[in-house]
Amino acid sequence: MIKTRTWIIVIAAVALVAGALSLWLFSARTGTVVEIVQDGTVIEEIDLLRVREAYRFTVTSSDGGENVVLVQPGRVCVESADCPDKICVQRGWLTDEPTPIVCLPHRLVIRSKSASGADAATQ
Amino acid sequence: MKQGCIAALCLALLLALLCGCAASAPSENAENSIDFYAMDTYMTVQAYGADDALLREAADCVNDLDARLSVTREDSEIARLNREGHVSLSPDTAALLSDALAVCERTHGALDVTVYPVVRAWGFTTGEYRVPSDAELDKLLPLVDYRAVSLDGGEVTLPQGAMIDLGSVAKGYAGDRIAALLREGGVRSALLSLGGNIQTVGHKPDGSDWRIAVRAPQGDGYLGVAEVADKAVVTSGGYERYFVDENGETRWHIMDPATGMPAKSGLVSVTVVGDEGLTCDALSTALFTMGLDKAADFWRQSRDFEMLLLTEDGALYATPGLAACFTPERGCELQVIGDD
Repeated sequence: MIKTRTWIIVIAAVALVAGALSLWLFSARTGTVVEIVQDGTVIEEIDLLRVREAYRFTVTSSDGGENVVLVQPGRVCVESADCPDKICVQRGWLTDEPTPIVCLPHRLVIRSKSASGADAATQ
Repeated sequence: MKQGCIAALCLALLLALLCGCAASAPSENAENSIDFYAMDTYMTVQAYGADDALLREAADCVNDLDARLSVTREDSEIARLNREGHVSLSPDTAALLSDALAVCERTHGALDVTVYPVVRAWGFTTGEYRVPSDAELDKLLPLVDYRAVSLDGGEVTLPQGAMIDLGSVAKGYAGDRIAALLREGGVRSALLSLGGNIQTVGHKPDGSDWRIAVRAPQGDGYLGVAEVADKAVVTSGGYERYFVDENGETRWHIMDPATGMPAKSGLVSVTVVGDEGLTCDALSTALFTMGLDKAADFWRQSRDFEMLLLTEDGALYATPGLAACFTPERGCELQVIGDD
């Protein structure tokens, strides 16, 4: 009788570990990856957790508009842009939250692939 | 005893398998998404169990609405109406205008679809911002009156010089249309983000509520997270579109139809949660114009929506229904709007 109980406990433990392991495996974390999307095409993927030193690069839109993207460890923003409304610059830093940085005039989107804490954001 | 062991072993294996299956998500409930630009904003539709064709149909539906409703597209029904003063609207557009006028009426003009000439004078339609003179506003204000819009079936007539803009309801309506389209297509779980307007279909595939963050007006943070299912969540904030004039004053795009000036009601952000995107969209603008006290009174009279209000001095208020499913960010204290 005692032996049966022991077995059940052992098997239940194994099941739990297996279940947890499969959950962990299937929902493998992607880090804090952001995508730079221009006119619907992903032109760059950056894992912000792997960024050691700040750097910037310029994205040029099809009509010649420019957005300067600043990447720092753990976060990204549009530092400057020559679009008329500058909403992308005012938006500030993106880390891993669900609100993307959008520059409508230049059709540029910077979005997090691994938004944490919320499924979407209203603004 | 041996049999018991074997049964327990089978059960354990089954459990482990089930866990694995649940995590990998069955194909009929697979996530699919589309993103596109429409209505001067960036939109994403994320639906579980929707095929590409259905998502394309959703995007086409919004683009079609945009083509009919945009004030800046010369060939849209609304642009023609604003130019010619009288047109026959398509049944869809007429129904939307009728719904929008009903909210104007319900809010006693705190939302007014005829405020467009004023918004245009401030440059919010072109991005060429300016502060109109008092004389210019005095001339334009008599044109702002939703009661002067005559809608008879599909026939709509505006007074000389008056113009309408359905921008305050269009994205909300688009959300309703996409949600209906997805439901008809058999989708039971979807998340729509239409330029900051959120609409949810059902629960998340795992049965839990959608977690919708409300963006803080300043900085990169959030006011908190609302947990909802089958609801629209729409925010109006002065921070969405604004400019700083030569005197250093911030001028935002939400106009008070009574004054022709950016609405300064003491509120900086209003989030409305309800069943319909259109109503939430329209009310978020109207309540922003009303201010805290009037908005609270308005809610007490109808109670068919929930709201979250942030005042310019940083106080956060919510109706009881929303307070029950809202977790404020650390440091944000939530005050519940009561019966009096």
